[in-house]
Amino acid sequence: MKYIKTNIAILSAFLLFLSSCSEDFLDCQPITFVSSDQFYATEDNFTQALNGAYSSLRGIFDSGYIMGEMRSDNTHYNYKENDRGLQNVDKEDIDGFVDDPTNRYTSTKYVACYKGISRVNVILDRIKAANFGDDAKNEIIGEAKFLRAFYYFELVQYFGGVPLHLNEVTKQSEAYLPRSTVDEVYAQIIEDAKDAVSKLPLIQATKGRVTKGSANTLLGYVYMTLKDYSTAETYLKSVVSSGTYELLPNYADIFSTSNKNNKESIFEVQYMQGTQGINSSWTYQFIPALSNTAVITGVVGNNGIIGGWNTPTNDLINSYETGDLRKDASIAFGYTDASGIFIASPFVKKYNHAHTIYNNTDDDWMVYRYADVLLLLAECLNDQSKSAEALPYLNQVRNRAGLGNVTVTDKSQLDEIIAHERRVELAFENHRWLDLVRTGKAIEVMNAAGDVMKQEHSYLLARTYQVNEDKFIFPIPQTELTLNSLLEQNPGY
Amino acid sequence: MKKKCKLLCFLRGGLLRTSLREKLLAVLMFASFNVFAADGYDQTTKFSFELNGVTIKAVFQKIEESSEFKVLYNEKTLDVNRHVNVNVKDENVESILDQLFKGSKNAYQVYDKQIVITESKDSPSIQKSKSGKSQKKEITGVVKDTEGETLPGVTVLVKGTNIGTSTDLNGKFEITVSADENVLVFSFVGMNSQEVKIGDQTVISVILDEKSIGLGEIVAIGYGTQKKRNVTGAVQSIKSDELLNLPVAQIGQKLQGKTSGVEILQTTGIPGQGMAIRVRGSASINASNQPLYVVDGFPIVGDISNINPDEIESLSILKDASATSLYGSRASNGVVLIQTKMGQLGKTQISLNGYYGIQSVPQKGRPDMMNAREFAQFEKEIREEYAAYKGTVATIPEEYQNPEQYGKGTDWYNLLLRDAPIQNYNLTISSNKDRLRTTVVGGYMNQDGVLKNSNFSRFSLRVNTEYRLSDRVKFGLNVAPTYSKTLTPKSDGSLWSSGILESAILSSPIAKAVNDDGTLPLTATGAGMFPNPNWLRVVDEVKNNTNDTRLLSNAYIDFEVIKDLHFKSSANVDMDNKQLQYFSPSTSGSVYAVPPQKTKGSVTTTSYLSWLTENTLTYSKTFNDHQIDALLGYTAQKYRYDYSYLYGTTFPDDQVTTLNAAATITGSSLAEEWALLSWVSRLNYNYKDKYLLSLAMRRDGSSRFGKDNRWGNFPSVSAGWILSDEKFLSSMPKISYLKVRASYGLTGNNNIGNYSHFAAVNTDNYAFNGVLASGKTTTSLSNTELGWEKSDQFDAGIDIGLLKDRIFFQYDYFNKTTSDMLYSVSVPQESGFSSFTTNTGKFQFWGHEFVLSTKNMIKTFKWNTDLNISFVKNKVLDLGDGIDHIGGLTGDPFITKVGEPIGQFCGYVFDGIYNNQEELDASPKHATSTVGTVRMKDTNNDKVIDDYDRTVIGNPAPKFTYGITNDFSYKRFDFNFVISGAYGNKIMNRSLESTQNLDGVFNVTKDVAKRWRSEENPGDGVHPRAMIGTGLARLMNSRWVSDGSYATLKNVTLGYTFPTQNMLKYIKSIRLYSSIQQAFVLTAYEGSNPEVSANGDSALGQGIDWSAYPVPRTVSFGFNLNF
Repeated sequence: MKYIKTNIAILSAFLLFLSSCSEDFLDCQPITFVSSDQFYATEDNFTQALNGAYSSLRGIFDSGYIMGEMRSDNTHYNYKENDRGLQNVDKEDIDGFVDDPTNRYTSTKYVACYKGISRVNVILDRIKAANFGDDAKNEIIGEAKFLRAFYYFELVQYFGGVPLHLNEVTKQSEAYLPRSTVDEVYAQIIEDAKDAVSKLPLIQATKGRVTKGSANTLLGYVYMTLKDYSTAETYLKSVVSSGTYELLPNYADIFSTSNKNNKESIFEVQYMQGTQGINSSWTYQFIPALSNTAVITGVVGNNGIIGGWNTPTNDLINSYETGDLRKDASIAFGYTDASGIFIASPFVKKYNHAHTIYNNTDDDWMVYRYADVLLLLAECLNDQSKSAEALPYLNQVRNRAGLGNVTVTDKSQLDEIIAHERRVELAFENHRWLDLVRTGKAIEVMNAAGDVMKQEHSYLLARTYQVNEDKFIFPIPQTELTLNSLLEQNPGY
Repeated sequence: MKKKCKLLCFLRGGLLRTSLREKLLAVLMFASFNVFAADGYDQTTKFSFELNGVTIKAVFQKIEESSEFKVLYNEKTLDVNRHVNVNVKDENVESILDQLFKGSKNAYQVYDKQIVITESKDSPSIQKSKSGKSQKKEITGVVKDTEGETLPGVTVLVKGTNIGTSTDLNGKFEITVSADENVLVFSFVGMNSQEVKIGDQTVISVILDEKSIGLGEIVAIGYGTQKKRNVTGAVQSIKSDELLNLPVAQIGQKLQGKTSGVEILQTTGIPGQGMAIRVRGSASINASNQPLYVVDGFPIVGDISNINPDEIESLSILKDASATSLYGSRASNGVVLIQTKMGQLGKTQISLNGYYGIQSVPQKGRPDMMNAREFAQFEKEIREEYAAYKGTVATIPEEYQNPEQYGKGTDWYNLLLRDAPIQNYNLTISSNKDRLRTTVVGGYMNQDGVLKNSNFSRFSLRVNTEYRLSDRVKFGLNVAPTYSKTLTPKSDGSLWSSGILESAILSSPIAKAVNDDGTLPLTATGAGMFPNPNWLRVVDEVKNNTNDTRLLSNAYIDFEVIKDLHFKSSANVDMDNKQLQYFSPSTSGSVYAVPPQKTKGSVTTTSYLSWLTENTLTYSKTFNDHQIDALLGYTAQKYRYDYSYLYGTTFPDDQVTTLNAAATITGSSLAEEWALLSWVSRLNYNYKDKYLLSLAMRRDGSSRFGKDNRWGNFPSVSAGWILSDEKFLSSMPKISYLKVRASYGLTGNNNIGNYSHFAAVNTDNYAFNGVLASGKTTTSLSNTELGWEKSDQFDAGIDIGLLKDRIFFQYDYFNKTTSDMLYSVSVPQESGFSSFTTNTGKFQFWGHEFVLSTKNMIKTFKWNTDLNISFVKNKVLDLGDGIDHIGGLTGDPFITKVGEPIGQFCGYVFDGIYNNQEELDASPKHATSTVGTVRMKDTNNDKVIDDYDRTVIGNPAPKFTYGITNDFSYKRFDFNFVISGAYGNKIMNRSLESTQNLDGVFNVTKDVAKRWRSEENPGDGVHPRAMIGTGLARLMNSRWVSDGSYATLKNVTLGYTFPTQNMLKYIKSIRLYSSIQQAFVLTAYEGSNPEVSANGDSALGQGIDWSAYPVPRTVSFGFNLNF
């Protein structure tokens, strides 16, 4: 019996040992990422979170040209008769005003904006509890609020009143909100942007971060869009009077990759070539589809499937005044192929800069720049019938382009001139479509442009370019409607 | 089996007639039948003990407890209460017996594991001592088998006594019984026992028949084994000999057609890959659906595709909750238990098995693409048709202007395929000598794929040993290293994911793969087509090699604490290290990335270490009619996964392919862990061997779940009743076995990501002014309440054996509800997130499984049939608050709706072509509709064709699946075939999106020539006009969905066993066979493999065909040698 007792004793001891294994064994913390309850504590954490909120901007501008420029009379595309792939058709549909709620590019913009908004919301909700100085916090809050205002401004211009998420979503039930009205969205944008103005510095130590000037420009645009011209004037003038910005002497330098965040730049979305995944690549979509892109970009690759978009229309090309230096800086009229033959096929040249990897460029996207503010201010003053006051701002821009002064003070004539000036100065910078909508010219201009286009291009179906007010904004993505029954679709879609 | 008969039973009982003749006979037979067991059990088993003043009976008990010996004696001739002293140290049983009987009148005989105590020769005989008694009867007779051959060594016992004898070499027996004894029991290994009433007979001849269903067979259940007849859960057990003849590389392939309620599909023919196994249709939304694999008691992490099938002794598939609940949180999808080979007692066996085969792709199912002439014609015509539509004049590229100049051109599909050899050799040695039991299995397999440059090879070794330290303590160690190497050109997938097969068939048949001078061109491009590389180069020149080293091992100690109470402690390790080396030379490329391309290469290393310790206490005891088996255990398992990746570009040339040559190198690494703690317990009870009850419970804690919800309990209960043992059924002798059983229990599923409950903060960088600015962002929502996915399952079954089990029928009904499913709910992206991982929703699975095994012929010509058929259905009961479906979003081929089956296809309903303007005017239209374009059904009757008209267009799940196995044998010939099939499953052939594209950018199927050309020439009503408005036609629609029902002749084997006794001294048997795998596929499906599924592992996304690697037909020759 002795051995039995011993055995049982050994066994009991062993079992006791086992059951003492604690819950710690089950606590496997993630190794390759931080969980959010372990993050958002230090200033450095919040700076990184803020950078993350900036990063969503790339999602907007990677394909921003489709809704911002191709929708307008500035650009079209090289029709690929033998590639009717839906990724192409979706782009053509936006160009031709026949897009529907399943369009992947409208969805991309919508989602990218909300990604940025949610990142800002996380920062704003959590920063109060964080333990670091108020000054540092305010700098972060200022930038974050600018970004939220910017993202909502994109949404409201392109989609109308959208759900207004202002807090971090922490559980599923919080993800469902109905659409707010356009006014409510604007009210929020103004509140955020004003707070940003008060918190942001005129000049950031790190170039590329948003500044007081960025926020003032944003407010200028917002009030212009709301047709509150006097308020717009205040904000736009504060940009001009800040003395921070000036026009670069040479137009092409504005976009140069060796000249990022220059004196003319007010808000510029930053990209960096290389393998970090934060490069730009739109040049490869803008140049013609080529089996070897080296003839244009100097880098070997076949962009046959992605090239040939956002191509300048004849109407735009012809609208440049004689002697306008911007024409050649913005547009190439063709290229010389490997056998030395010139192929006439116009494309956007603005963003064609040296780089080393195929489909991987270093270009930043210029969102707001000083010439833009000057022209917007001119428009704003003319809208208030202060036409004479508008002229110097307009002429600054014209002079740089090698053009003479405008002296017209007739409001409606000047209106046309400023609109045209904006068209060519800001060509391919995603302003044209929103300008047409803001100035109430979209229906007239685009229907006329459509008629011309249909004559030029036999592949355009009769149903294209039927522009009415419904087409000012884009449809809410079908996927969101399916997931959230509180949402309603925009009329006409 | 008969030949292996233990002749020992022969002398059972103290009353045996112990004439010298019989003893001699016994010894002779023993010798003649056990020549390969030179050292019998009696010689190898050693005892050490010191017993003073104990009874002989106690000594016998001691011997029986500490060994497998059985002592047979007659109390009338042996005084078992005599006190003796025994003192042995590491000696065999004879020493003990010598000490016991020295000087007594008793003698003994040892036959392997039986010890028979007799009176010594010179003592008065038993006959005499009994002669004084009244009324004895001498009974003689012969025992034969069903083929009429006599059976030596059959035990003949007087029922209820120890009195008995056994048959001699001629099957004859003699026994003397007293007149009041009236039943004799005849038993023999592998045969059904038979009871015969003596009555007035003095000559009794008996025919014993073989046990057709091994009800006495032991099957593996979780954490133990059980007699098959007493199993109350739904367990299917498969022995290695059923799998022996199948020359295939993977276990899964061997099981096809043999399992009921278990769908085993070969989704691709890539060597060494592609088996999808699903038990009872189990499906989860996001979590995995693969069953849990348990090898020698160790729940492994990786899959079983690289385990050598020849190492397997038996395999049990646990299907219902009572069988699986002991695996708790990982058991929802069923459990597959694999037992590896272990040396059989008392035998040394050596066998060598091998086969060599040639694989080829059948003609049927190859894509029917246009040849060069047809293709040029097509390219020319679509341009003309399009020009006519626009009212312009067509410009025809020169190469298409004169189609007549071309012949067949390049058949890219055939060009990439080849006939390929497959070979496999295994050497198995097992022995059981002294205290050591060992099995060694060494295997080598090499399979070239039917796609060029694909190959799978495997070297494997398994050493299983068990050492008996003493009669109370056993140690075991199983070690199984495997090294496998695969060459896998990226064959499967769409052209956009560079799937070679789909890309190649879409390339121009005019383009040459090989120049006339034998050199290989770089590209395969045609005018106006998407540019392609030369796929022949891509398949040959891209290096994509994986080396996988795996070590699977178990070590255990089994220790008998007190009598019948065993403590077992084991440590198990599964280690794996994989390295994938990839190199793409400048001559390779993909669609739109034609050579010369920048060279690129990568090295991906993944490794995991999974360890488990398990400690169990088991107690089994029989008292009177009650038998209990109890189990209590505790286990802890931990897993770590490491991944690293190095990527290099711009190699100076294609010669040095390692990354040191690359100009730019980038890389990253990742790691993950999980842990699991569990308690297991079970109580099996049976009364009179016919009332059976089993209770089990597991408690699991997993690191994968939120802190607040990480522990789960998984109880189960099952009961069975063997009616055929009841008196009221004994009047129906045709029913040889009848059992009813039922079970109910809970199981779980934790197969989601390791860190799903955390809100992850991940890197999302930005740059300022050309300088990287590190960014972080929350990329997922946290859920501290995330917990188990639960399934409760009810199972009821009946097992019926008729005509002495010659007909055996098994039926199971099951009904399983899976709830709290681990699911990433899509949430509106306005939240900043696209999904939220939560427990939600409820699926129901129910079905019927039938198995019928019959022995149709049992004489010289033997014919056995196994038939199984399973009907499994499922229904979505709930998907969480306010959600009535998931999937089905724009561009999503699948939808899962409440009230309907899971994972149905979703898309437009194809309704022909708008043949003319009137038709177009009268019909609902899509925005892009014109005459000659496809017409989809206006399913919501709003007169417009749009996204809202997409609907359910088919269910990829079969209505039923079945398998038929037939075994025939005649003398030395054996023949066998296996059919496996499914009925009612639908397949979506997504390659049609490209192979019937009308843009002219791809080669197309021949039937595209029958497209709509004009109102006068409307074609076959299926293919729309070229060029304009084909957009709708390339959205998912019902025309791509077709019936995937099939019946596949998986295996046909013909074998012959050579007589060797007089031929070869050391060879016990030689069998040669020839077999055909995947001999014939009967299906209406046009693709190459009706078992295809783009994503075999996700239940909500099955049944899509992207031109997967074809499953070859294999003709092979093999041998089995036993030494």
